Amino acid sequence: MNKKLSIVATSLVTTSILLAACGSNGDTNSNSNGKEKVMLSLWHNYTGDDQRAQTMRAIIEQYQKDHPEVELDVQAIPPDGYRTRLKTVAAANEMPDLFVMWPGVMTKEFQSGNLLQPINELLDSKKEWKDGFLPGSFDGFSIGEDIFSAPIALSPTSILYYNKSILEENGLQPPKTWDELMNAVTVLKEKKITPIALGNKAAWLAQSSIFSSLADRVTGTEWFLKAAAQDGAKFTDPEFVEALTYLQDLGKAGAFQDGFNSIDNTQMEQYFAQGKAAMMIDGGWALTNLAASASKETLEQMGATVLPSIPGGKGDPNTISGVVGTGIGMSSKVKDAKKQAAYDLMYAMAGPDAQKRVLESNQLVSYKVDLDKTKVTPIFAEVYDLVNSVTTTPVYDGVMSSAVADELNNGLQDLLMGGKPEEIAKKVQAAQEKEAK
Amino acid sequence: MLQRRFSSGLANGLMTLYALVTLYPLFWLFTSAFKSNEEFYSRPFQLPTTWHWDSFSRAWKVSDMGTSMFNSIIVTGASLVLTLIIGALAAYILSRFQFRLKLAVMGLFLLGMLIPVHSTLVPLFIVMNKIDLLNTYGALIFPYVAFELPIAIFIIQAYMNTFPKEIEEAAHLDGMGYWGTFLKIMLPLSAPALSTVGILALLRFWNDFSFALVFISKPELKTLPLSLSQFATGYMTDYELTMAALTIAVIPTIILYLIFQRSIMQGMVAGAVKG
Amino acid sequence: MTSTVRTRRFIVIGLLPALLLFSFFVIIPIIWSAYYGFFDWKGIGTAKFIGFDNYSEIIHDEVFWRSLKNNMLVVAASVFGQVPIALVLALLLLKNSWIHKFIRTAVFMPMVLSSVVVGIIWGYIYHPEIGILNFLLDSLGLESWKRQWLGDPAVSMYSLMVPIIWNYIGPYLIMFIAALHNIPSEMDDAAKIDGAKGSRKLFSLTLPLIWDTIKVAVVLCISGSLKSFDLIYIMTGGGPAHSTELLASYMYNNTFAIYRFGYGSAVSTAIIIISLFLIAGSQYLMKSKNR
Repeated sequence: MNKKLSIVATSLVTTSILLAACGSNGDTNSNSNGKEKVMLSLWHNYTGDDQRAQTMRAIIEQYQKDHPEVELDVQAIPPDGYRTRLKTVAAANEMPDLFVMWPGVMTKEFQSGNLLQPINELLDSKKEWKDGFLPGSFDGFSIGEDIFSAPIALSPTSILYYNKSILEENGLQPPKTWDELMNAVTVLKEKKITPIALGNKAAWLAQSSIFSSLADRVTGTEWFLKAAAQDGAKFTDPEFVEALTYLQDLGKAGAFQDGFNSIDNTQMEQYFAQGKAAMMIDGGWALTNLAASASKETLEQMGATVLPSIPGGKGDPNTISGVVGTGIGMSSKVKDAKKQAAYDLMYAMAGPDAQKRVLESNQLVSYKVDLDKTKVTPIFAEVYDLVNSVTTTPVYDGVMSSAVADELNNGLQDLLMGGKPEEIAKKVQAAQEKEAK
Repeated sequence: MLQRRFSSGLANGLMTLYALVTLYPLFWLFTSAFKSNEEFYSRPFQLPTTWHWDSFSRAWKVSDMGTSMFNSIIVTGASLVLTLIIGALAAYILSRFQFRLKLAVMGLFLLGMLIPVHSTLVPLFIVMNKIDLLNTYGALIFPYVAFELPIAIFIIQAYMNTFPKEIEEAAHLDGMGYWGTFLKIMLPLSAPALSTVGILALLRFWNDFSFALVFISKPELKTLPLSLSQFATGYMTDYELTMAALTIAVIPTIILYLIFQRSIMQGMVAGAVKG
Repeated sequence: MTSTVRTRRFIVIGLLPALLLFSFFVIIPIIWSAYYGFFDWKGIGTAKFIGFDNYSEIIHDEVFWRSLKNNMLVVAASVFGQVPIALVLALLLLKNSWIHKFIRTAVFMPMVLSSVVVGIIWGYIYHPEIGILNFLLDSLGLESWKRQWLGDPAVSMYSLMVPIIWNYIGPYLIMFIAALHNIPSEMDDAAKIDGAKGSRKLFSLTLPLIWDTIKVAVVLCISGSLKSFDLIYIMTGGGPAHSTELLASYMYNNTFAIYRFGYGSAVSTAIIIISLFLIAGSQYLMKSKNR
């Protein structure tokens, strides 16, 4: 009796481990019967019920239907956990064949770990497709001559959205210069209307949407790229401190509503959509959110323009900071027949046809497509025109390493609570120096 | 006497008030599930103007909650049974026996309670990848049980410490061995502690996001928390569907809590009769 | 077979499943993670051994110290908030009447809710524009007490204490109730004969009998407060400007957000060491007081 029980207890653990292991082995083998099928794994984060996610899922399903010889192992991973998941498998060197990937830092880090392979071959074989992308589309995905992905989205980050009727009622125009902006802030403040909605709880928003463009107006793009490379410019330079001071002045003038550090970007977008603020500085991603949650009348009230110019600034005022969005990356381990199938799927997901469908789901793309304006919201059409009429400047966290961007994000929160611009500049510079070591 | 009744009435009244405040979030969750996204933001505390019944079926379908509910039940159930059996056995030994390495064993288990789970993700992933455990129910069940064991052992052990020595002596006189004492006396007597551990473990297994995210990649094996977070895009969250999905997911845990609570309150009586 | 051999065999066999599982899935990863702490590693590609550099950086990082300070506040609030409140409620809610059942269930309910829901609701209570708290203060004529509860670093940490205490009373409550029910009725009767009543009975009989459970509760409280961060993360994201950062969120951020895997691992080892000290200290204090 005793013996039996003890055997049960001890073997409980071991047997179940064995069983589990067997189970997984059986699974992988069972696929090999029948004809030689190409197995291809794809990870994406298009899980939701929004238009873009639905479009992307439909494209993937279509590919599976058209390619019976390929067995797709598709994994839809919730966006909240997508990066954590991807970084864990990257640490263990177990990347899927294809995966949704961000330009800039992530591409750089993955490339340095030999996890990626270039897709120049694919791009060069479809010249027309490659030429269809807007200028600079591949910058964030390129290292040297190698291009690692093609973007399926475009994120202009600093668009000045405004509520036409609020501005009109107060005799104001969308501000073109810094002084006009400050004047608008004063006028609206007196009427007890929030001039600019801001939700900076997640900390990247002020950096990505306001500061990237504002600082570019002050310092010019060239200075920033130099400073980020620590090549002849430093973040302690007077122009950077000046840019920080401009943002702080805006905050001090009372441009933002109370408690902007404790609400997030979605709440900010809602606040603006409900007509509680006259303006909002936000990225292209707001369009999806607005389309989903604002009424038709409110959407018609909205306009979009660039951030105002800065007196004596070195940067071009007719610009919007922006980055290309995610693309599909390919693991360095993909070879032979698999590679062809992977190329086909990549083209299906980022090719001209896909770009058009994505655009029509209220998501900007970095690709020349004629927009059928009846298919999207009016504010989307306006932003689309705007983006096509200006040049794009870099976004701070698209260029800086994530540790430095993190320092700047927290610094900007501090700045808007009254922190000294010089101190913050010093911290950012210190973080950048540590990174360069 | 009258005064005492009054003061206990007052205490009950105050506590009832507190209880109602504590229940409010649940009520808020249920009503929010019926709201549109716009209403979720513009009128967070009011009742919905129109009741969106279809958000439940949409959430269920879009995130394939049928599959994930099934998986969650299997994973949570298996983990729960293993945690309780293995944990109670270890607790019984640590509580009723003296041996040389006892303190070392307890120290080891304590260590496991202290590590933040996120820093174990990568090592665990590599270990389980090596033994081919990833993408099986085992990839969740074993880590769940292992991480829950310390808490289970400590709670059950503290509870068993209060049993008088005479109980075992009586069992011994009846000719019961250690296994018999454990199964027929210790387990039933510890029912309240087992239920306490059961509730805590159940909630942790049912709600775990990190392990489920990293160790499971097959869609047909995913558990509920993954389904629940599908409606956020990183830039916005579809709260209508999120709240509906959360409501569906929380109902089983409430029912199970009520069952466990019964056993906490009645365990003593039942145990006494059986023993 | 002699009885000592039998006993020893029972001890080994009984502990084996727990020890095997635990060592394999918990201890190995802990050691592994501590090992990463000695490397400069981004989580990708090659790692460089740097000895104790990560640890010396931790000691010099002001964000770490701020996180530690915040975390100590959370530990204090949990140990001196959750545990005593749960104990008092447990003593008051012992009966099996429907009203006690109802209150017990209600107190536990925040635990079954996802932290996301709890976080969103408290976010709305503290909301700067439409928050209930500021609205109440307004209507009570206490405008000067209004604050940006989560946005102002001077008060945000304290604002966060309330939901934390409120959320986690439930588990301790049921632990204490289970322990209190375990007190044999003969002891109760004996106390009655002795004439022990009210507070004397509480301190001379009840508390000593459940003292082990209270000690376990304190250990759970300390370890829980040092390794979890989800509620605060949802409400403030650790901000503004790190003012509500905790050790665990600091660790997570370094590990998964900014490609500093080695450093994050070192922080997590530091968390274990700090927890060990706190727990050892608390157990020492609780021992000397009552035995």
